[in-house]
Amino acid sequence: MNEHISSAYDRDLEKIQALIMKMGGLVEHAILEGAKALEARDIEAAEVVRKADKIIDALEEEINEEAARTIALRAPVSKDLRTLLSVLKLASSLERVGDYAKNMAKRTSVLAEMKPINGTDAALRRMGKEVQAMLRDVLDAYVRSDVDLAENVRQRDLEVDQMYNALFREFLTFMMEDPRNITACMHMHFIAKNVERMGDLVTNMAEQVIYMVTGEMPDEDRPKGDKTSSMLTE
Amino acid sequence: MTDYKISAKGVQVYYGDNHAIKDVDVQIEDKTVTAFIGPSGCGKSTFLRTLNRMNDTIDICRVEGDIRIDGEDIYDPAVDPVQLRAKVGMVFQKPNPFPKSIYDNVAYGPKIHGLARNKSDLDEIVEKSLRKAALWNEAKDRLDAPGTGLSGGQQQRLCIARAIATAPEVLLMDEPCSALDPIATAQVEELIDELRQSYSVVIVTHSMQQAARVSQKTAFFHLGNLVEYGETDKIFTNPEDPRTESYISGRIG
Repeated sequence: MNEHISSAYDRDLEKIQALIMKMGGLVEHAILEGAKALEARDIEAAEVVRKADKIIDALEEEINEEAARTIALRAPVSKDLRTLLSVLKLASSLERVGDYAKNMAKRTSVLAEMKPINGTDAALRRMGKEVQAMLRDVLDAYVRSDVDLAENVRQRDLEVDQMYNALFREFLTFMMEDPRNITACMHMHFIAKNVERMGDLVTNMAEQVIYMVTGEMPDEDRPKGDKTSSMLTE
Repeated sequence: MTDYKISAKGVQVYYGDNHAIKDVDVQIEDKTVTAFIGPSGCGKSTFLRTLNRMNDTIDICRVEGDIRIDGEDIYDPAVDPVQLRAKVGMVFQKPNPFPKSIYDNVAYGPKIHGLARNKSDLDEIVEKSLRKAALWNEAKDRLDAPGTGLSGGQQQRLCIARAIATAPEVLLMDEPCSALDPIATAQVEELIDELRQSYSVVIVTHSMQQAARVSQKTAFFHLGNLVEYGETDKIFTNPEDPRTESYISGRIG
């Protein structure tokens, strides 16, 4: 895409893009560090993740203001308008993902008091790693206007869903084995569910990137793998 | 089938050696506002002027191709350009009322085209036209005052009243709001939307926002070519051609 005749307009758009990338980077970091702190039961590291969420929230505010200002002053049309509308939605999704990471850190301080549930910490870290990789790719897809990469991210949510299903079963089993596991399992399950929701939000971001580039929302149904709503204890 | 008012096929316009319009095909609908947009010198005004043969007045201008209004070839030698221009009215960039009274500005066309049998007929046409142009309430008590004494926005609405007094079927507007303030512009735009009930309106504008606001169809011209023509919504949200995208989003084409 060529540059605008008004170079100040390009600078406005670039500034917003830089803010999104900064926010995205911080959220990626929060997911990784949050999962690491959880696995290590490191309360101090978890506290750092909790505090960093304030910066993420402030960035969302700043992006909203910049986008509103650009819409008011530049009357964007076509792809420029789609970009700005997408930026608002991307920032809102990132803020939610950041909240979930913060929530993981909060629960870490409670879980630190309890006996770990065999093997589930590592599974959660893998799930977090996968979501972080999806987020990194969706941000790349956004910067490069890469529809194929965005579509690839969209398809990968299925893996996160399947990891969540497996964890859900494990937690059920552990709770049935020994009621003393229930408190820890409940917290761990909330964390797993939140990471699964992060995957959904990243998927929405991928769809937003596709809309931004093509002008159309992808309509075909993507594979959905969260089966826990119909799971029973045998 | 869609109701096409104007049908142009393979239109070429030359000013001497300069090929100003290159092989333009376009179908313009009745009771629709169609906007022509494009950078200066792209041919949009030239093309507009072929639709009522205003280019006939330029010696070096040559028009080829087929332009039909209601199926009738308007370049047929049997067509009287003066009659044609009564049917295809035009409003220009700068308000250009005749140096006559408000009444006479509007009454002039119907008089020379013999559209009124008597004074009361004429009175009725003048009132109806001024009402349609949303000028009646401001002008009814000063119909004998000179048209040039009105404000710019009122003068432009007077020119619109004058154009519709001959009961045209098509109204061509060449940047009708470029000399008006935002309030007068809003009034003229409101008027264009009302005129759409009765006429096919074709408007040339440099204001992309105006094209987006008033039109249902938009045609983008570039270097004498009709690059893209379609629903205004589509042109301004997701155009097909990268040149259209570049132009409407304020980039170098």
